[in-house]
Amino acid sequence: MIVCVAVVGHQNNPLYIQSFTEADDALKLHHIVHCSLDVVDERVNNPKKSGPTLNETFLGLLYPTENYKVYGYLTNTKVKFILVTTDLDVRDVDVRNFFRRFHAAYVDAVSNPFHVPGKKITSRTFAERVSNIVKSFGLSST
Amino acid sequence: MIGASKIKQYSNVLEKPLSKGKQEVSLSAFAFLFSELVQYNQTQVDNIAELERRLEDAGYAVGARCLELLCHREKCVMFMPFWLSQGNRRETRLLGILSFVHSTVWKVLFGKVADSLEKGTEHEDEYMISEKELLVNRFISIPKDMGTFNCGAFVAGIVRGVLDSAGFPAVVTAHFVPMEGQQRPRTTILIKFAEEVLRREARLG
Repeated sequence: MIVCVAVVGHQNNPLYIQSFTEADDALKLHHIVHCSLDVVDERVNNPKKSGPTLNETFLGLLYPTENYKVYGYLTNTKVKFILVTTDLDVRDVDVRNFFRRFHAAYVDAVSNPFHVPGKKITSRTFAERVSNIVKSFGLSST
Repeated sequence: MIGASKIKQYSNVLEKPLSKGKQEVSLSAFAFLFSELVQYNQTQVDNIAELERRLEDAGYAVGARCLELLCHREKCVMFMPFWLSQGNRRETRLLGILSFVHSTVWKVLFGKVADSLEKGTEHEDEYMISEKELLVNRFISIPKDMGTFNCGAFVAGIVRGVLDSAGFPAVVTAHFVPMEGQQRPRTTILIKFAEEVLRREARLG
């Protein structure tokens, strides 16, 4: 069950935060996303120099907390995607797939000539695509 | 839509979808659009420097989006096993990002790699990408009273957008360099990196 997705810009400014459960406190989710940014910075600045993990885009499980798992993804322009989920048995492949589609939606949203880089993403199409991707997250795993 | 699509097997050849076609735009359409862009900006400003700045800003917007697009497209390669598609690395070294601009970006935008990439001799932080004839300048001739104005400022803006979004702030300008034995001068994009980039590069060793 995906609880929240967020897009954070390269100066750690939030560009898009969307939560998908009414039950949880939105502020708590914002806080979790904010804390995970530190972990992202740590991973980026101290890369594990063992082979292909250098300069990877998919950062993997950032840190597990109480009943949430947080995954991170970094693009070429230092824009970070954060995914907060409550699933206990998420497969790596599913998360990578999710981020790939999320990246596609993000690139489409940013290619809009009326979008100012650095400002929040206000496109409704982007919001719809994101909720579609989130809905099909658990279902596509067979 | 950007991204890999599912591949279905069609029993009947009539049911196959039309091919996506080449990822190209007609040169004449682009030349027309670019000439309109230059003319529109010309009516809004009263001096050359302002016109160059506006073209550069237009290019900057293109460059920033170009980097995101390329990073994503290089990853989503169809027909490859899914775990092999994590192809593109984020460039952190100076030479890495310069060769990325010189080959990949140029290939996607203009259909060929740039003619040459050189390091400047006088200053440590200067690099030059030269091109015999910039695509955007193909149908443009500069009147004498405009002096050293170069519509390649648009391309300089694109390069600046790519470098800036990748974390390498720089000042990029376009210049004409006259060559002996050739009628039209060669165009050079001069890239001057900011202090912090050089310090970071020195720290990385």
